[in-house]
Amino acid sequence: MTLTIEMLFPEIANLHGDNANIDYLARCLPMSRIVRTGLNDTPVFASGNVDLVYLGPLTERGQIRAISRLSRYKSRIEDLIQSGTHFLFTHNAMECLGSHIVNSEMKYEIPGVGIFDFSSKVEMFGRYTGKVMGSFDGLSQPIVGYKSQFSMISDPQTVPGFMTTTRGIGRNPTTRVEGIRVNNFIGTSLIGPLLLLNPQLAEWLISSLDPSRNPELVFAEMIRAAYDARLLEFQNSRLWSALESVTR
Amino acid sequence: MTESTVPASGKHQGPRYGLRALAAVWIGKFAGATLKVLGREGTHVPGRIALWVCPTILAIVERPNTVIVVTGTNGKTTTTNLLADAFDALGFRVSSNRSGSNLREGIVTSLIDGVSIAGTCRSDVAVIEMDERSALLVLPQLSPNIVVCTNLTRDSIKRNAHPEYIAWILSSAISPSTTLVLNSDDLITASLGSVSNRRVFFGVGPSGDEAHEPRGAAVDASICPLCDERLEWKFWRFNHIGSSRCPACGFESPDADTHVSPANPTTGLRTLTLNTDEVTIRLANDSIVNVYNVAAVAATLELLEVAAHTIGKVVESLAPPTSRFADETVAGVRIVRLLTKGLVGVAVSRAFEHVASVPGVKIVLLAVDETTDRFDGVENTAWIYDADYEFLAEPSIAAIYVGGVRRHDQALRLAMAGVDPERIFVVESETRAAEIVPLDTVDVLINLHSNHNAGVTGDAVQRTLRTRLMENAS
Repeated sequence: MTLTIEMLFPEIANLHGDNANIDYLARCLPMSRIVRTGLNDTPVFASGNVDLVYLGPLTERGQIRAISRLSRYKSRIEDLIQSGTHFLFTHNAMECLGSHIVNSEMKYEIPGVGIFDFSSKVEMFGRYTGKVMGSFDGLSQPIVGYKSQFSMISDPQTVPGFMTTTRGIGRNPTTRVEGIRVNNFIGTSLIGPLLLLNPQLAEWLISSLDPSRNPELVFAEMIRAAYDARLLEFQNSRLWSALESVTR
Repeated sequence: MTESTVPASGKHQGPRYGLRALAAVWIGKFAGATLKVLGREGTHVPGRIALWVCPTILAIVERPNTVIVVTGTNGKTTTTNLLADAFDALGFRVSSNRSGSNLREGIVTSLIDGVSIAGTCRSDVAVIEMDERSALLVLPQLSPNIVVCTNLTRDSIKRNAHPEYIAWILSSAISPSTTLVLNSDDLITASLGSVSNRRVFFGVGPSGDEAHEPRGAAVDASICPLCDERLEWKFWRFNHIGSSRCPACGFESPDADTHVSPANPTTGLRTLTLNTDEVTIRLANDSIVNVYNVAAVAATLELLEVAAHTIGKVVESLAPPTSRFADETVAGVRIVRLLTKGLVGVAVSRAFEHVASVPGVKIVLLAVDETTDRFDGVENTAWIYDADYEFLAEPSIAAIYVGGVRRHDQALRLAMAGVDPERIFVVESETRAAEIVPLDTVDVLINLHSNHNAGVTGDAVQRTLRTRLMENAS
């Protein structure tokens, strides 16, 4: 089975090493077709079949550019989410699909694509950095990852989360609900890159993309050794600061 | 000395000293002298105390009429030192934070150091290194005549986010009356300031060996700022450093007013082209990063109307610091030691690029974890994938030993970069590799360590390798 993975706007959505998520998928799924869609190109998903749509971390200007491109395909994206197409939006990419983004320091408030009912508040002098560990429905082991971001999103009860944190903050410092998971749409502010930090999640995604075969991770021994070492550390409460706690 | 318009006298006309500001100067001076007597550096401490006494001291303390601020992601310390050395050589009295304390407190310390007990400025020119993120706290009060920006590339993900963010901070802080000396081969730096600012550009001409397509994880200016089309590259060096044009709307990188040519492969000589003249120069350090630093120095001196032949002489005499690099040969085997600044993918990429260029069969000892990241702050290892480990997939690298807490992440990253997993050896301790690495079939041993472990790991590895090589030879 040849899978099509579409990376959106890699010329601007390439921060924090997160595109390695797709490099890893490409290694694990050597028969897959990776399409890199530029800002001025028409996305393949607009009219064709795509198995996974990926958007990575953006600058603030990059978010505005991405919103202007994706807004043209709002109803198509909604249909694809509804019909179970996989999406992976990491770091601040998912904010593009919310209702609006407010950035008072840079003096703008812009509407998002408007697919999900949450908003984002960007604080250019309030960058948050923290670790996250939590549970993802369908995995026996915790997800681990990192946040380093200017923005926090609101926490509407109507939008299901990607994970629930056991340590570390969620969508914002007042909630344990992190990210978004609607059908096969996953949006998370975690960076890492997520799939290279979480072998179980990589396996889950690969088997979800291609249920016809057993998922095989490349460099399986290495990725698991890295995960085990990190998990062991993350379970040590002394390595968590007060700023990494949820405040209610 | 008389060839330049840098004023030999004349002081910046800022607000007058009040008693509080004078007290801040006195207490700052006293703190500096005390630290010196105690044998401690603490270059930010006097400034911190002075700011506590008088929060507006930076705007008040008297300084020379010519104040040059040097900022940028890489090369700001070297460029500051080179500029200060250049003014020294030209016979000016220079006030500078050469020690690299580049936050507001350190800058205040150096300015207080540059005035008498009565608060009178004793220097002809101030050359101030400034941390990019401190711009909003420093520039509006300091009001420099000139801001030099060496480059803006990716830095710490946690602290600096991305270069556009730093450019926004700088542009928000730069006064329209400040003259900007900018890198023409860096579109993000070249965009600094506003239409009101006078801009002077420096660059380094292409050798013809450069690529025309960007590679690597950290390319931050790959689309046209006017129409979003992908840029074409006349030449590309690293990250987003190079010269580009837009095939759709005709936008181009700015032309450099001052540029340094590539070195003549036979003679090693370069041409330094200034606005009005050309001079032939030979540089003590030919690394591309240093050539950009020299170009920045030359552009700044030319802006101050220093004569071309004097600029040529001055830049030839400048020797950049070498503390971050060591190269020795023991019993016929070369040991190259290189500071590889973990947490900063771009810096790590440049170190790896250098490793790949070293001739001979190599073994790399890699211990670039930043443990300080885990214990002094909040860990974030995403930078590993923001660095181009692909340089280490070079076939002449026979083996790579990774040690330290995040050794498994490092090993995985190397494998992802195309390094044959058979060539990757994982050892628990950062220094153990030096004890077990084979010495018989290798031409070069490469000792890569980060900032925090320069002593405990970098020094220890170097010592062990040296001892083992000498024992092998005897």
